[in-house]
This record gives sequence, structure tokens and C-alpha cells, in this order.
Amino acid sequence: MSFGYLLFVNTKHQSHEYLLNAYACALSIKNTQREGYDKVALVIDKEWLLEPLTNDWVFDKVIEWGEKEGWDGRSYMDKLTPWDETVCLDADVLLTHDFSHWIDYLSDTFELFLPSKAYTYRGEVITSDYYRKTFTANKLPNFYSLFTYFKKESPLATDFFTLNRSIIDNPKEFANMFLTDHKPKVIGTDEAFALSAKILGIDTDITHNLNFPRIVHLKPMIQNWPWPANKVSDHVGFYLNDNCELKIGNYQQNGVIHYNEKTLITKELISILEHKAWKKTF
Amino acid sequence: MTKGILVFAHNNRDIDYAKLALYSARLATEHLKLPVSLVTDTSTIEWMKECGTYDRSTELFDKILTVERPAPTNYRKLNDGKEPSRVLFTNQTRHKSFEITPYDKTLVIDADYLIFNDNLNAYWDLEQDVILAKNVYDLSGQDRFQYLDSYISETGIDLKWATTFMFTKNEKSKIFFETVKNILENNEIFSQIFRYNYMQFRNDIAFSVANHICNGFQEVSNYTLPAITVTLDKDKLVDVSNESATFLINDASGSRLGDYFACSVKNTNVHIMNKKSLERLVSRQI
Repeated sequence: MSFGYLLFVNTKHQSHEYLLNAYACALSIKNTQREGYDKVALVIDKEWLLEPLTNDWVFDKVIEWGEKEGWDGRSYMDKLTPWDETVCLDADVLLTHDFSHWIDYLSDTFELFLPSKAYTYRGEVITSDYYRKTFTANKLPNFYSLFTYFKKESPLATDFFTLNRSIIDNPKEFANMFLTDHKPKVIGTDEAFALSAKILGIDTDITHNLNFPRIVHLKPMIQNWPWPANKVSDHVGFYLNDNCELKIGNYQQNGVIHYNEKTLITKELISILEHKAWKKTF
Repeated sequence: MTKGILVFAHNNRDIDYAKLALYSARLATEHLKLPVSLVTDTSTIEWMKECGTYDRSTELFDKILTVERPAPTNYRKLNDGKEPSRVLFTNQTRHKSFEITPYDKTLVIDADYLIFNDNLNAYWDLEQDVILAKNVYDLSGQDRFQYLDSYISETGIDLKWATTFMFTKNEKSKIFFETVKNILENNEIFSQIFRYNYMQFRNDIAFSVANHICNGFQEVSNYTLPAITVTLDKDKLVDVSNESATFLINDASGSRLGDYFACSVKNTNVHIMNKKSLERLVSRQI
């Protein structure tokens, strides 16, 4: 039984920063997860783009695939993953601690799992629906697709991703039928996943109310600040020390950090992550 | 293991904190049935002798402990109902609680915190080195607090309250109070790191920052003391007894400062921000 993480990068409609984000994510996985839980597969439309990366070995498997553009490819995660059990992460995510015990728990408990809770950088549960009006208006389950666990051979996961592909391929039809109270401009992965779960009636089967995985979601308008904000980094600093421990503002982070701002991954930050990966591995 | 209460009082030209401490200590003794010690300074003691409250203090207080009076550098704006004034705020000795307390376990209360029940006695046996209060509650039910009553700054950490706190004298709590002292002595630097306004030193902020540092820069699910019920300095205390207090509450829904409604509280501890009105009533009772 193999377990690994899966990342998607598609450069056609995504900037090249996504590749750097995925690289940082893979480095953070190598740096924090214990052996057996630290494998990373990358789905990318142009494999040659990896050549400039200093440590492309952090991607244990590279799958060249570009049939879908942008984030739409993620609905094929069940078909593309090389692992028996997978956590598909958004590229703009950093792992800060060893979460292998979560994986064991998810493996024992679920065939398919999506987190339904996210936190601010201060550790407060996010209650604002500023970016999720579609969810509230249409009573969709509050899923975050950025951390999706599934078993490849699970019939439940197969049904879920099959329906999800239909939604992504026919967004207007599904929006007209199921999202009538608030139609999103674009049906993103979060909306598609939530809608799939709702249609299949499995929304309570594929999540739990526990405090993990601890998703720290850094979109600016949901940080419980007293004023509107364009970017989180305009207001709080990101500090990664030599041991790759991350502080945001005055808060030590210990969750799955979804930082959203693609340009946050600088060469300096990559260098710190690479340095630790080298020290740990060689 | 000995248990007791500390009340701090440093008088200034505007407010006789020693008088407030005398009253709050009497209520604390009556409801919590524990010894109360006063922490003060020599000039305050001289004034107590001059105005005739010292003898009563020696009877009521378990011990009268003196610390050096800090330089008069810290000021704040306080209302007495609708009358604003700028007053000296001598609050820089609170970190000395650790070194000066005669008790193994200590509850520290502000001199303007009136105890009308024994709820705080339920917290003595908690196995936690330092216990702070996390929440405040507006007695009037109008929730007149602002953002910076919940956080030390717009993007900063949660604000805890040093109005009441409890600690066990041990190595861990020593580190906590040394951290508070460090913040006091380097307030401007800490204010840059934690982004709070350093113009007025507040124990609430210093304790919050120390707590955050000692918890590894994270919010942790520690025990907290009960929410502090507060009346604002715009409110006026008009009557107080051993079990209850009556206020004229500034009506937040009204357009003008000075519109009031009556409000009474019984068997509930209250932090009275209008120290002048408390002092007026206490003077009559003592």
C-alpha cells in the first residue's frame, strides 16, 4: 500500500510561480514528513520546466499531462495519482509539521476526506463567508479542496470524482440547476467538490468536525481584521527561520498553510527550504 | 500550601487607590474568606496615615508590603461620567507580584475590582502556573467594547486581562513575570514587534504578550479566570453594599454622552472603571 502527496501545475493558464509554489510545497513535505509519508508526485503539462530546479528529486514521480487547463485538472486526481492513497494539495501550500499520524487516522476512517474547517493565522476558526457566498446561499457543505485525501480504489471516490468531472465540463448546466441562489462567476474546485458531495448525499460521510487537518487559510478578508485588506502580506510578516519554522505575524504556525499569494515564495525562502531538505536527506 | 490575595495601590493626586484597595480587600475577605495583602509604596502609606486609613488597613490587611514607587511617566485618560481628565497611571509594579507575594498561590486583583461572590475560589486547585482572564463582559449588556478590547492591535494577539490573575509561585511563573518585567523595561521594542500602542503602558498588554511568548507564540487552550464584568468610566457608581452595586449606565444608543439608565448587579464581581465615583462612595463607607 503506497501513500503520497499529489500536486498539480498547469502553466497554460497559471503563471510559472505555480511551479515554484509546488516546488516549495514538495520541499516542505520532504522537510517535515517522516519516511513513508513523504512521497510527492507532480502532474505538470511540460516536464522540461523542472530542469532549472536545483532539487527536482523532491518530486518522486513526475506525470506529464496537460489535457485540462488551470485547476480543472484536479478533478482527474483519482485517475492520475500513482499512489494507492493520496493527499492532493494545492500548490500554494506549505506543511509545517509531521502530519503522518493524521494520514494514519484518515486511512483508517475514510475512503475520501475533505476538511470542512479552516483557521486564520491567529488560530481562530473562520466563520466569514466573504469568499463563499455560493456555499451559504446554496447550502453547500463547507469543504476545502486544498487538502483532499482519497483511496484510489474506492468506489465512493470514483463516483465523487466522476461527478466532479461532469460538473467541471458542464458548469452552466450544473449552476443553473443546483446553484440558483447564488451563481459563482466560475465553478472552482471547492464549489465543484462541495456540489458533488451534496448531489451524492455524502457530505457528512467525507468530513468530520475535529480540529485537524488544521488548514490555515490566508485570504485577506477572512482574517478577522477590522478593516478590508487586499493582501495578507501587506499587514503581517512571514518569517521562516533556518529550521523552516514559520511565523506569520506574531503567531507560530503548526498547520497546513494555504498562503494564496503566489509571489510569497521568494528565492530566499526556497533556499532555506532546500538547505533543510539537503541536511535531512544527505 | 498557603493561599492569599494581593491588591496593588499607588496613590496619585487624583485618585486615592489605597482607599479603593481597602474597600475591595474588605469585600474579598468577606466573600473569599482568604487573607489579603496590600502592595503599596511609602508615600502612599504616609498619606494613609495622614488621612486616617492606615490603622484600619493594618487591621484588615494580612500584610502591608512596600515596593519602590515607579517614576511618574505613565498617564491615561479617564472619565468620571461625562467629565474627562488625564491622570497618572502608576501600574508598573504588577510584575513584582511574584517576588513580593507571601503566599504559595496568589490571586491578584485590581483595587477597583469588587468581589461579591466566591466564584474565584473554584480556581485555586487548577494545575496551571499562571491563570489570566480572557474575556470581558459589559455589565450594561450593550457590548460597548471595541476591536482593541479583544486584540492588542489590529493584526496582533488576543488581549488578556490583568484585572484578575492567579499564579502559583514556581519556576515557570517566575519566567512569566520576568517576561512581563522585560516587556515593561523594553516596551517600545516590544510594541514594534507586537504592534501595539506603547504611549501608555498597560499590564493587560504586557501580560498578553508574556503569555503569548511563554506559550510558544501560539494560542493554547489554557484555563482562564471568569470573564470580567466591567462598567466603563462613562458610567457612574451610585450605590454599593456588601452584595450589590448600582450604576447609572451611559446609554450607548443615545447620541449624547450624559444619557443614563439605572442598572443594578447582585452577587456578581464588577470591575469599576470610574474610579472617582467608586472613591466617593468608598469614602462614605470607610
